[in-house]
Amino acid sequence: MREAWITGIGLVSALGPDRETTWSRLVAGASGIRPITLFDTTGYRTAIAAQVDDTTVRLPSLPGTVTRHASRATRFALAAAAEALADARLSEDEGSVRAWPLVVGGGAAGLFEAEGFVERRLTRGPHVRGLSELIEVPQDSPTDRVGQALGLTGPRITVTTACSSSTIAVGLAAEMVREGEADIALTGGTDALCRLTFAGFNSLHALDAQPAKPFDRRRKGLSLGEGAAILVVEEANHARRRGAEPYARVRGYGVTNDAFHMTQPEPSGAAWERTLRAALADAGVAAEEIDHVNAHGTATEQNDTAECAAYRRVFGARLAAVPVVSVKGAIGHCLCGAGGMEAAVAALTIARSVLPPTVGFVEPDPDCPVDPVAGAARPASLRLVLSSSFAFGGNSAALVLGSCA
Amino acid sequence: MSGGPFVRAVGVVCHAGSGIAALRRALADPDWKPEPGLARPDAPPLPVAVCRDFTTRDVLPPLLARRLDRPARLLAVAAREALLQLGDPLPWDPERVGVAAATWNAGTSALVEVLRAVFLACPEEAPPAQFPSTVANAPASQLGILAKLGGPNVTFAEKQAGGARAVIEAARLLDRGRADAVIAAGVDEGDWLNAEGYLRLGALARANRPGMLLAEGAAVLVLAREPGPAPLARVAGCGSASSPAPPHRYPDQPTALLAASHQALARAGLTPDAIDVVICQANGSPALAALELTAWGCLFGDHRPAVLAPAERLGEGAVSPALRALVATLALAGQVSIAWPPPPELGAAGFPPMVARPQHALVTAVAGGGATEALVLSRA
Repeated sequence: MREAWITGIGLVSALGPDRETTWSRLVAGASGIRPITLFDTTGYRTAIAAQVDDTTVRLPSLPGTVTRHASRATRFALAAAAEALADARLSEDEGSVRAWPLVVGGGAAGLFEAEGFVERRLTRGPHVRGLSELIEVPQDSPTDRVGQALGLTGPRITVTTACSSSTIAVGLAAEMVREGEADIALTGGTDALCRLTFAGFNSLHALDAQPAKPFDRRRKGLSLGEGAAILVVEEANHARRRGAEPYARVRGYGVTNDAFHMTQPEPSGAAWERTLRAALADAGVAAEEIDHVNAHGTATEQNDTAECAAYRRVFGARLAAVPVVSVKGAIGHCLCGAGGMEAAVAALTIARSVLPPTVGFVEPDPDCPVDPVAGAARPASLRLVLSSSFAFGGNSAALVLGSCA
Repeated sequence: MSGGPFVRAVGVVCHAGSGIAALRRALADPDWKPEPGLARPDAPPLPVAVCRDFTTRDVLPPLLARRLDRPARLLAVAAREALLQLGDPLPWDPERVGVAAATWNAGTSALVEVLRAVFLACPEEAPPAQFPSTVANAPASQLGILAKLGGPNVTFAEKQAGGARAVIEAARLLDRGRADAVIAAGVDEGDWLNAEGYLRLGALARANRPGMLLAEGAAVLVLAREPGPAPLARVAGCGSASSPAPPHRYPDQPTALLAASHQALARAGLTPDAIDVVICQANGSPALAALELTAWGCLFGDHRPAVLAPAERLGEGAVSPALRALVATLALAGQVSIAWPPPPELGAAGFPPMVARPQHALVTAVAGGGATEALVLSRA
């Protein structure tokens, strides 16, 4: 039985441009949600988001053919990929033909950059200039750039199922390792803020004017975010031979569809229960064995209620003893990048035996009867963790991560 | 993917019309020519093979159709054709039926409408009903909602190779027991912003230079682990590789195309000389034509399978590899006669047109950026 270990993590978020800064600030209860400087927010219901500070993002040394037209989403992914490879101590000649699968959740890609063209085109007609901003419009462009930068020759897959994209990506990459298609896979997700998503969620009245407060009785919506996570997923014996230090093991994943509504979750939690049970079954573990949930926890009224209903169905009375943490009060909702970033946090949580707090949570909600690790981080010895994501269209996914001990 | 899933049913909406019958008629007519042209509000039409006469009439209730954007309607109609062949109710628990879709540009029209409001009016004018359609997974999700399909519902982005990725991932979902049947699909809409972008990048055909004709439409293959009473074909093997290249360019070398083809053949337990027909990509791009010519020369040596290139007339997009797999399925099932010649450069290299019912077909796709897929389909 092959095991898929996470042996490298790269993370770029509004909390920081790398894994350690993000983790230390997350554990300290910091929030990266702040006033947006990326574009003019006049006329929106809110002016805040978890925006990455571009000046801190450290790109590896790459040829201009890779970086010249690279979008922000690509830059996040390139920085995270470089950090993950260095973290995994995968040297230049490790697998000199790098036929590694690259499986990434992606969404907006270069849309923020292209919006400048769209604005000019709509206001000034067909003769406006515009070329380089259009190159990274396709959702798989950041994946292509990472593949190009690292010289990868294996399968290159971009999952684009909105907010569950990179959860599915991590599950799929781990499955490819577990099933013997590859010894190493790179996976994760990336997404960047843009006016389309900001205006869209604004139009749905889904944005809180204040920083998001997951599972809190006062919650009024989400805070958008951006960033990237890239994970090195490696077959256990391959990792052992290299002396690699694992963070966690990807035990399995589940993916289902609630077939209910494009934007509303199925309220009873029954549909999401199927997703969670599919993940548990794939991992071969029982619900009673789960020690912690890294939740979707967007802080919208409907999401958090339906999500907690699903956890009640799965964990029953034991739910009170299973800490359920949402990181979206700290790093925002990073959409197609969210699941990968949350998988990275879940792996760090296991490896470092510390539960980060749900930033923004203060007042309990009777409809969300979970322990969200309020106020401060908490030490915890964790063997098995669920990381769940729910998306527009009902495309739901969940990962089961475990310790490598 | 030992054994490989069976293709149980197919459905299509494309430039040739709605339905398999319209596609069959076009493929059987050597003189059938596309009539491309996507209107722009303020400039000449663009080279897109649109589904000009597409309608949801007699397929979807009007109130329901009105709620869907165009790519969701295209996919719903193509899927409806396929699912009707399987009976009502479907022979599987709906919670065990999944969707694996791919798109290059679904959602762009909705995106333009949201951004038009933001840029020309104010953010508060952004239409909330349009926003959910801007996500690429909207067509597959809407199909899941319409048909009440609770299995895995996953959408992939791989530009013009997307439809092949959808078939590969559908096969994987079945192989891993995550579903009993999966609707593998490619879907694209004809939209001016996307097409204008590729025109500006020099990728589309113009009067004085060769290039791609973009596609609009949806192609659906229902895959299942069990053959059922009348399987059309079998996905015997899949291969996947990539070459490092910028997102808007094809690779310089056919390394990944050869690697993916060899993988697919090996997984099917076949050698290249067993392939009777290659449903190749040949989309009008000179760079891709050179890539394919080199690859097929290396792969087949002196063997000369028949070659067919539907994208020359039906256009290129994420829908196209799924459409090529669909055409291969019909050919393997003996349900289509092909009168279209191979692309000129491959014809000149001795690759003949398809005249006989094949036993094994190779379908390939290379995306800008270098992601590359290959499928071997065989008679069921």
